[in-house]
Amino acid sequence: MLVCCGTGCLANGSHGVYREFEKMLKYADHSVKVKAVTKATGCNGLCEMGPIVKILPDDIFYCRVKASDVEDIVRETLAGGRPVERLLYTDPATGKRVKSHRETDFYKNQQKIALRNIGEIDPANIDDYIQRGGYRALAKALDKMSAGEVIDEIEKSGIRGRGGAGFPTGRKWRHCAGANGATKYIVCNGDEGDPGAFMDRSIMEGDPHSIIEGMAIGAYAVGARKGYIYIRDEYSLALKSMSRAIEQAKERGYLGDSIMGSSHSFDMDIVRGGGAFVCGESSALIASIEGRIGEPRAKYIHATQRGLWDKPTVLNNVETWANVPVIIDRGSGWFNSIGTGKSKGTKVFSLVGKVQNTGLIEVPMGISLGKIIFDIGGGIPGGKAFKAVQTGGPSGGCIPGSMMDLEVDFESLGSAGSMMGSGGMIVMDEDTCMVEVARYYTKFLAEESCGKCLPCREGLRRMLDILNDICEGRGHKEDMDTLLEICEALREASLCALGKTAPNPVETTLRYFREEYLEHIQDKRCRAGVCPDLTEYYIDESLCRGCGLCAKNCPAGAITGQPGSAYIINHDLCTKCGRCRRVCKFGAVGIGGGAVV
Amino acid sequence: MRVIIDGRECLARRGEYLLDVAKRNGIFIPTLCHSDALPGQSSCRMCIVEVVEGGRSKTVASCVYPVLGDIEVKTNSDKIRRIRRTLVKLIHASSPAGKHMEDLLERYGPLPENRFEVAEGEKCMLCGLCVSACEALGTGAISTINRGTAKEVAPPFKEPPEACIGCGACAHVCPGDAIEMKEQGGIRTIWDRNFEMLECTGCGEYIMTRQQQEYIKAKDPEGTVELLCEKCKRKKTVDGFRDAFKNTGF
Repeated sequence: MLVCCGTGCLANGSHGVYREFEKMLKYADHSVKVKAVTKATGCNGLCEMGPIVKILPDDIFYCRVKASDVEDIVRETLAGGRPVERLLYTDPATGKRVKSHRETDFYKNQQKIALRNIGEIDPANIDDYIQRGGYRALAKALDKMSAGEVIDEIEKSGIRGRGGAGFPTGRKWRHCAGANGATKYIVCNGDEGDPGAFMDRSIMEGDPHSIIEGMAIGAYAVGARKGYIYIRDEYSLALKSMSRAIEQAKERGYLGDSIMGSSHSFDMDIVRGGGAFVCGESSALIASIEGRIGEPRAKYIHATQRGLWDKPTVLNNVETWANVPVIIDRGSGWFNSIGTGKSKGTKVFSLVGKVQNTGLIEVPMGISLGKIIFDIGGGIPGGKAFKAVQTGGPSGGCIPGSMMDLEVDFESLGSAGSMMGSGGMIVMDEDTCMVEVARYYTKFLAEESCGKCLPCREGLRRMLDILNDICEGRGHKEDMDTLLEICEALREASLCALGKTAPNPVETTLRYFREEYLEHIQDKRCRAGVCPDLTEYYIDESLCRGCGLCAKNCPAGAITGQPGSAYIINHDLCTKCGRCRRVCKFGAVGIGGGAVV
Repeated sequence: MRVIIDGRECLARRGEYLLDVAKRNGIFIPTLCHSDALPGQSSCRMCIVEVVEGGRSKTVASCVYPVLGDIEVKTNSDKIRRIRRTLVKLIHASSPAGKHMEDLLERYGPLPENRFEVAEGEKCMLCGLCVSACEALGTGAISTINRGTAKEVAPPFKEPPEACIGCGACAHVCPGDAIEMKEQGGIRTIWDRNFEMLECTGCGEYIMTRQQQEYIKAKDPEGTVELLCEKCKRKKTVDGFRDAFKNTGF
């Protein structure tokens, strides 16, 4: 029995489910004839339906399991060999119950490489990892391959950095291997500061040994003896899981001196990050490890030449490292056959926002955005219209609904004005105001910029001023040009990638949703009803049935009327929370405001 | 290395910073946060130039861009001028009262009416030179605190800094004249701390703080700190020479 104990399921009480299983099985009567083992696993991905319990070998997939369901599972499934129907996943399209998760659209369309073990193993148990082929690649590299051959293999696989920039990993390793100096370092970036992103966290929590193995292979390839994994301090479960795994690997001789009897020695430590978003930027991360203020420096000289403590350094992100052992194990040809022309392999995304199946997914490069959002994600909840998807974290761009055929790879996302980033994917429906989205991310970036270079600090400050003005009804028509002018300065003159990509949310919303900016500026109206100063709710007399539900729900007591006749909103009292609109069963509450009313 | 800057061929050593190459060849690139004594801030980004390499153009900060191959450089293209002007507008909005604005307005003014709420009276543009100077001296009395738009230069806990020796290097390097340093009646006041000034033993002019003298002594216990101003030091040297050659016939 595999009980998902990823952060999402834990928050929904999965540890209670796990304990209940342990207790039940201890005292189970002899009707349970199998010798059952319960394992707490990492994140299964379908966080929306958690806590998740999988039962092997029949591959039964239970959703939203509560501790009180455990008795039924033990009696029906373990003793009786029958699935508990009510806990099975319901296919939203057909309404039918599905026994195995493999039959669901959510899992069917995925391909798991980086997430290969997550949800299948107990991350606290190194033997689980080894049983599924773990540390085989490290043995192969040390035993049968030269350092150069390892680099060749990584280069031929075509894998590119999963942290955002997409730099070819093999080329990075080659630069570092060729750099002068006896001391070299391996660094893993587990800072993951994007709001709504949890790809790296899930890997660190659910399959920590895959990262350690990847780093040990990388260290062998470039000739490094020491590595660091930088984990943000808020990730307490990831920190626990990684430190336990490092200890285990040391005990078993996968880390330390003369690994597996070879001449290769490699050791690693965890560095805890303080939670600054900018420390996900490689040079700021290095500064932070060195104990300095987390500010980036110019990268005209790469870290592979002069990185941590000015020594040649390979810095890759968690997901990249987790891919390395599989590439070495299964060969570059296999990996290279997955994906598109310049983007090989798979990519992990955290699919969140206004989508049915929020959660963690891994898909082959080149899959269309539409397939991710509608097939895997199950579309938009509540019958709302799909509006846009933001990819690549806070400094990614918003891609409109009309571009759902877009292939998800480094090049296509870039040409659409967005980016791959580390894999955040935030879905937005018709109730989202795109100007407010741009304002929100600009505010995040203005606060999280390190503030060292002028264009980023002052540019973001002033862009935020303008966006605040537009959202609060003080926008001018020239503001759109001023925004674009500052965007250019940010993109071209900023010191690091945070500033260079920070214009994306503003530029893409201006490019694809210009009419919403115009409505805000000229008509003083927010069509989504998000910006309070530009929103006025009204009740359409012809649609109102006089049920009074809106008045009952109004927290401000702003709606009055007599049952049976149309109700009226008192605009002096209305706080524009929008609850009346959400509860009205007849669609009688409309959004007006500004020049329209 | 052969570097063509604005159509002119210049020679550069490998790894030399582009700004230094341009300067040596008499080509002007505007800077605010650059100081020859404290190079590498690269925070104001006024020194951006276009570098064309292998047919591709990129914008770089010339103060930290090392020349590693044959490149063509445009210091004043339309794009660069446009972005620099935007930067000047941003600087004007955030530090309109800084001394650096005088030169910027002369070169890029007059500016259009500022779209933003101007930070009236603000002089600091957060170039970071003061912090670097203090760090280079080994005192580390001030630092930047916070990040993003909340960033500022301050002593620890915004209290009068214990580590400060009152040397005034921060005020001296500041392009905006933003660090207040007052001297009155033999007392220097900076960062809300008062420092006793020591007089030149030659002419009586105030030359350094007592803490400065102690700091130098602690760094070099064997040496002696002569309390002489630059003028008196020169005079003493010249007098010394004169005495030495007095009876030699020269």
